[in-house]
Amino acid sequence: MPSNFMADEATGSAATSYLTELECSGCGAKFAADQIHTYCPDCQSPLLARYDLKAVQAHVDRATIRQRLHGMWRWHELLPVRDPQNFVYLGEGDTALLPVPHIGAKLGLSNLYVKDESTNPTGSFKARGLAAAVSKAKELGIDKVIIPTAGNAGGAMAAYAARANIRAAIYMPKDTPRANIDESRMAGADVILVDGIISDAAGMAGIKAREEGWFDLSTFKEPYRVEGKKIMGYELAEAFDWSLPDVIVYPTGGGTGLVGMWKAFAEMEALGWLKDTRRPRMVVVQAEGCAPVVKAFESGAQFCDFWTNAHTLASGLRVPKSFADALILADLRESQGTAVAVSDEAILAAGRDLSAHEGIFPAPEGAATLAGLEKLVEQKWVRPDERIVLFNTGSGLKYLDALA
Amino acid sequence: MGKNILYIEDNPDNMLLVKRVLESRGYHLLEAENGTRGLAMAEAQDVDLVLLDINLPDIDGYEVARRLRKSTKVELAYVPIIAITANALKGDAEKALDAGCDVYMSKPINIRELWARVEGFVVSSH
Repeated sequence: MPSNFMADEATGSAATSYLTELECSGCGAKFAADQIHTYCPDCQSPLLARYDLKAVQAHVDRATIRQRLHGMWRWHELLPVRDPQNFVYLGEGDTALLPVPHIGAKLGLSNLYVKDESTNPTGSFKARGLAAAVSKAKELGIDKVIIPTAGNAGGAMAAYAARANIRAAIYMPKDTPRANIDESRMAGADVILVDGIISDAAGMAGIKAREEGWFDLSTFKEPYRVEGKKIMGYELAEAFDWSLPDVIVYPTGGGTGLVGMWKAFAEMEALGWLKDTRRPRMVVVQAEGCAPVVKAFESGAQFCDFWTNAHTLASGLRVPKSFADALILADLRESQGTAVAVSDEAILAAGRDLSAHEGIFPAPEGAATLAGLEKLVEQKWVRPDERIVLFNTGSGLKYLDALA
Repeated sequence: MGKNILYIEDNPDNMLLVKRVLESRGYHLLEAENGTRGLAMAEAQDVDLVLLDINLPDIDGYEVARRLRKSTKVELAYVPIIAITANALKGDAEKALDAGCDVYMSKPINIRELWARVEGFVVSSH
């Protein structure tokens, strides 16, 4: 761990993390933060980490954080790991926020940006969540972790587990992009290819976890992946001089990033760090072949129905039902946002546009956000001068077989 | 008197959890530890909704759903069935819906979602 994440802690009273407890997102039950937890044993909803934000306010300011070594861990007071020796660091975080003026002009939008997560270790935003979760697992003494994945989360978990000297087992669909399979095996993980999709992989991983005592890092079935992902929200605020964009367009499978950023906005507001507390309207983008959040949002439901026969080339969007569906829908509605589904053809076309006009070779999930934005422009749901951020969640280089 | 919910489930921990949360909402839970017993109880008693585990020790939940739908007791052709599986495996959701279930849920069951789903079919006495 580079020492200059911590270089400014001179007073001796500052803590590495101000994590206080875990709180159930469903029933509000509280749990001790320094014990191993999965999800709420009472109502079986995801747990969220809570921090002593007053103490953070007293001990650190935004300017100090900005001066630290770049990367996710410069926000360590707001992350769950107490001992810096347990930071499992591969260079995650502080990805570029790129203006995309050519596509913006084409759409009649003057303030369009892409948050390009493809430069994270292992080439996707999954690095953030798995860095946090594997680091906390290390701190809690967990020695073997398991995950069902649509692809990139598996690759990321394999890399961080290798770095932490923790055993890794990964269940992924047999048609997962080749890069995900190979990177996971290269990192020493046990890779089991499943005849099905991520929900099928989850079933099999769950059996192995229960029978053999592996710790399950499935989306929202442990409390810390979302903490790594929330830092995307802090980075956006910092990049926009402590205000927030008007609209964030986010490709949504499990929804960790969307829930995480919304959590970050609330934390920043409580910390008094935002010059302007107006929140963005959040937009969920899903594929037409698997759009459970879009369906639930449009019907006014609190929970998603399980999406049967899910199919899309954007493998990260092939999630029939997120474990955090209630949180996603609540945050979406609180933000006065919306949800749109796009076709695979539109995803491919948007990917070509981002590559040809802006030099960004996006993952299909990232390309889906541009396809979704095009719909919103048609619907006049966005205004021409609004500050809009698309999330490219990964590199197109990891999907060469799907895009060929 | 609360509405009768028949829960066909062989795992006592799950049975206890669901019993606790549904009875707290005013429902009356009928408990069956396997498919055969569940079918017999559905035939013999007034049932307003069935919660059906798929992985049962005798006959699987799909077959239970099919037999409920084919029962000579007319009400069972229409009784809402919520399928629940511990390990969502390939095609489980499709198979459950094809067998006659109305809703498919995979464990861990979010209790607030279970309340909402049950309440959507049968209103509690609370």
